[in-house]
Amino acid sequence: MRKFQILVLCLLAFAGCKNHENDHQPKKIAVIVSTLNNPWFVFLAQTAAAKAQSLGYETRIFDSQNNTALETDHFENAIASGYKAILFNPTDANGSVVNVNKAKAAGVPVFCMDREVNSATGPTSQILSDSYSGSVDVGKYFVKTMNKKGNYAELLGMVSDNNTWNRSKGFHSVVDYYPGLKMLAQQSAEFDQNKAMEVTESILQAHPDIDAVFCGNDAMALGAYQALAAAGKSAKVKVFGFDGAADVVQSIRDGKISATGMQFPKVMAQTAATYADEYLKGRRDFPRKIPVSVELVTQKNVSGYIAFGKKN
Amino acid sequence: MNAKVKYGIWTVIAVIIAYNSVYFKKLDAMKAVAGDRFDAAAYARNYLLKVLPGMADKAIGCDRLLAGLQTDPQQTFKYSHALDIGSTRFFLVKGNGKITNIDENDIYLATDSSKAAIKIATEYIFGNAVRDASGVISINDFAGTADLNNISAEANKYIRQQILPTFKASAKKGDEVSFLGAVELNSSHLTISDAEIIPVSLKITR
Repeated sequence: MRKFQILVLCLLAFAGCKNHENDHQPKKIAVIVSTLNNPWFVFLAQTAAAKAQSLGYETRIFDSQNNTALETDHFENAIASGYKAILFNPTDANGSVVNVNKAKAAGVPVFCMDREVNSATGPTSQILSDSYSGSVDVGKYFVKTMNKKGNYAELLGMVSDNNTWNRSKGFHSVVDYYPGLKMLAQQSAEFDQNKAMEVTESILQAHPDIDAVFCGNDAMALGAYQALAAAGKSAKVKVFGFDGAADVVQSIRDGKISATGMQFPKVMAQTAATYADEYLKGRRDFPRKIPVSVELVTQKNVSGYIAFGKKN
Repeated sequence: MNAKVKYGIWTVIAVIIAYNSVYFKKLDAMKAVAGDRFDAAAYARNYLLKVLPGMADKAIGCDRLLAGLQTDPQQTFKYSHALDIGSTRFFLVKGNGKITNIDENDIYLATDSSKAAIKIATEYIFGNAVRDASGVISINDFAGTADLNNISAEANKYIRQQILPTFKASAKKGDEVSFLGAVELNSSHLTISDAEIIPVSLKITR
């Protein structure tokens, strides 16, 4: 009997040690991002990871390389490796839903940043740029700058991404009120600078008389500007972007690009990480979607902004 | 097995299949389902014509807003609302003033008490000022952001098509105007001179 009591005490002591050790292991949060081939998403991912680390979590950034199959691998890896929450920038509004649902079924909450998935129940919360309203502001400035008339082209982002269409719809909800503004071409350049340069070159061949290009992100605005500069038309054709990337903020200062919609990835990333921390501490009442405002940056107010945000 | 019993069994099976293949619903029930789709235009009309006029006593006076922004902006922004996280904020404002100028985009007023210069937008009626300024619309009441975007679009459309044309046709320099409207201001980059009031109601009083 005495031997049995000693054995039980040893087991309890061992179990206690084990639990104690687990308490000191930092919980892990995964940051799964659509691509790290664009400085905007690098900033988003790094800020989310840094905020989670400051809250006491171990983090790892996974790059989906705009590939939903790779994104699926990352989700499976994160779930199997014991990550407690996922801060997620989706690759595809529809294609990424299955990954979110897989994490939810495994009890891992997902917080979407910047890009949304078309699911009301999958993600715990979606913290998104108000792309539609931001593009309304860009559209209003576009109409004023163009004096309500002229020919223009539009470069769309990835057609599978909701932000692409929210930006396009917001822009057209203003510009289409003005019959003097005619859209001669609308093509996707997939948010990519090099593709935007190629697409703009071909648009210029078909429509040499365009007066402006509206681009669904800043990388495409830079590509469009490069093509216009190469064709000797950069002084005549106005370029409008969306994001607030460093090169575009500088280009607005230099008078090369007319305006951009400044997004705030820091706000989105930090809110997502804070929500994940609150979830893991027991909170459950999260708003399904939280829009983050987008601000118009022009030559008039650019001195108040830096890349991806405001000057303090 | 008796042929009659066989036919009886087959008949019963056929009736069961037929019964479960066809569903009848009352037309009222179908209309109710269709009616569940969000009607942004109706919502915006009700909001502009019933909700906002009933909140006029909660709107901040234009002179008080301008004075507050100069003396204590932080305190004054507590009167503002917005659905988005960020420094873009919206105020529900009211006031009276005399028309000092009219151009293709705005009507300029000098307010009655402080003679401050303000602009009432008549051309660029876009954005979320009218939707957000009252603070009564909550993001959690709607299934998606598209519904909220449509409320702004429909409210702005109504103002452009129903409220402004009559006013613009009769307004002239020197007229006294009373108004209720919404204005957007950025709490981080405050430029009052650029602010335009989107009108919700406009009355020429003299």
